Amino acid sequence: MSGLQGRRVLLVEDESLVAMLGEDMLLDLGCEVEVAMRLDKAVALARGADLDMAILDVNLGDTCSYPVADALFERGIPFIFATGYGLSGIEPAYNAIPVMQKPYQVAQMERLLRHLLTCKTPPRGNMPSLPCGCSFWAKIVGPHQIRAD
Amino acid sequence: MQTFDTTTTTLPTLRRGSQLYETERRLNAVLNNASVAIFLMDDRQHCVYMNRAAELLTGFSLTEVLTRDCPLHDIVHHTYPDGRPFPLAECAIDRAFPENNQERGEEVFVHKDGHFYPVGFTASPIRDDEARIIGTIIEVRDITEEKAAAERQRLLTNELNHRVKNTLATVQSIAAQTFKGKTDGVARQTFDARMVALSNTHNVLTAENWESASLRSVVEGAVAPHALAEVDTARFDLVGPDTRLHPKVAVTLAMALHELMTNAAKYGALSVPEGRVGVSWTLEPEGSGERLDLVWTETGGPPVAPPTRRGFGSRLIERQLPLEFDGSADLTFAPTGVICRLRIPLTALGWHGQERVTGRVAR
Repeated sequence: MSGLQGRRVLLVEDESLVAMLGEDMLLDLGCEVEVAMRLDKAVALARGADLDMAILDVNLGDTCSYPVADALFERGIPFIFATGYGLSGIEPAYNAIPVMQKPYQVAQMERLLRHLLTCKTPPRGNMPSLPCGCSFWAKIVGPHQIRAD
Repeated sequence: MQTFDTTTTTLPTLRRGSQLYETERRLNAVLNNASVAIFLMDDRQHCVYMNRAAELLTGFSLTEVLTRDCPLHDIVHHTYPDGRPFPLAECAIDRAFPENNQERGEEVFVHKDGHFYPVGFTASPIRDDEARIIGTIIEVRDITEEKAAAERQRLLTNELNHRVKNTLATVQSIAAQTFKGKTDGVARQTFDARMVALSNTHNVLTAENWESASLRSVVEGAVAPHALAEVDTARFDLVGPDTRLHPKVAVTLAMALHELMTNAAKYGALSVPEGRVGVSWTLEPEGSGERLDLVWTETGGPPVAPPTRRGFGSRLIERQLPLEFDGSADLTFAPTGVICRLRIPLTALGWHGQERVTGRVAR
């Protein structure tokens, strides 16, 4: 058991072939996968779909996935970023979010997703100190750090 | 013939506080604080006034230029960058004078210290009360930085093209080394063919600096037997208007067509000598842009049976392509031949930061 069995994961990735690879890896880990390749659909799923976790490709062609991150944050759904750029490619406001390096590797994906499961979901509202085993949510304490676009 | 003589209207001859004095003072303030070099030329192409930016640009003072009493060209534009003399008769700025208003162009000037520098110029005629042209105003700016930036951009694009191709070749090699003797030859061939299809699409993109690709080139590239070959017109009918495709659309469409080609060659119309493939497309208005409607039709092949399992090709076409472009795909295994209908909106596709880099919005 990977501990990820049956977890519902949103995968946001704008390249068809890469999305297929990511989806297959998640399926191999036993997850249920929702794939979104466009920002509008990704935001809609982040707002309304029944999700446990998400993987967001940062660069979505002509835009970025930060609005998806904000929607997930509002619902307290943990997520990781995926990028080929490394840490410098991420807006500073999101520097507490774990980053998965591209190209996708199943071991790295599994480790980071398990890491998300060990974190407690932040409560509704903006309580600054969270009983969280990692620094994931604790660093993001207020809506002023979250982009609205 | 009337000529300018600005040297006679210098400030000390005007009464301090008079309206003319104030106007002149204001104009001098404007001219000497402008960052663009401004030259006032008479009808003999002699410079009769230049502002401070012009002095800085050329290295010559106004007094020096006035003393030389010759066409400005002979002072700042007398030699080609390769060292040949540059006669006034060949000068584009001179030719612009006097017919055209706001004539623009780029030239290479010679500084007083002898170095060459690229400039952009705008020349406008000045007319007298009878509308006769009596001189020219030439605005000139040093475009060394812009030229250098364009060159850096060109080198970076070349490097990008080079690295993408090398990376694809490296992936191919890693796969070859990894699966040597561990997998059947068919899988290797399929993999290599897909890598080549991807690589060929990148050829189309690199030719266009990654901005866009010609739809027709993408379709022709996908159905040609190899990169340098012509499309076999005995087997293919390609009908449709050309348009520009965003790189993402070009790559996914090319991969989809490659999968259709592979399937046709193995099981469909291209598996028998008399089979044919038609690829026809139209551009339909949709929203503020266009939608590509493309139909792939196979005829003359053996009877088609629907596949027992859906592989990479049908997954890419039926699922990924609509997801990626908010379009639709319809793959039908009709008994008479495979039919694939693709609808791909071509609107509002750009890349992140494009406006900042190219100064324009996609489409």
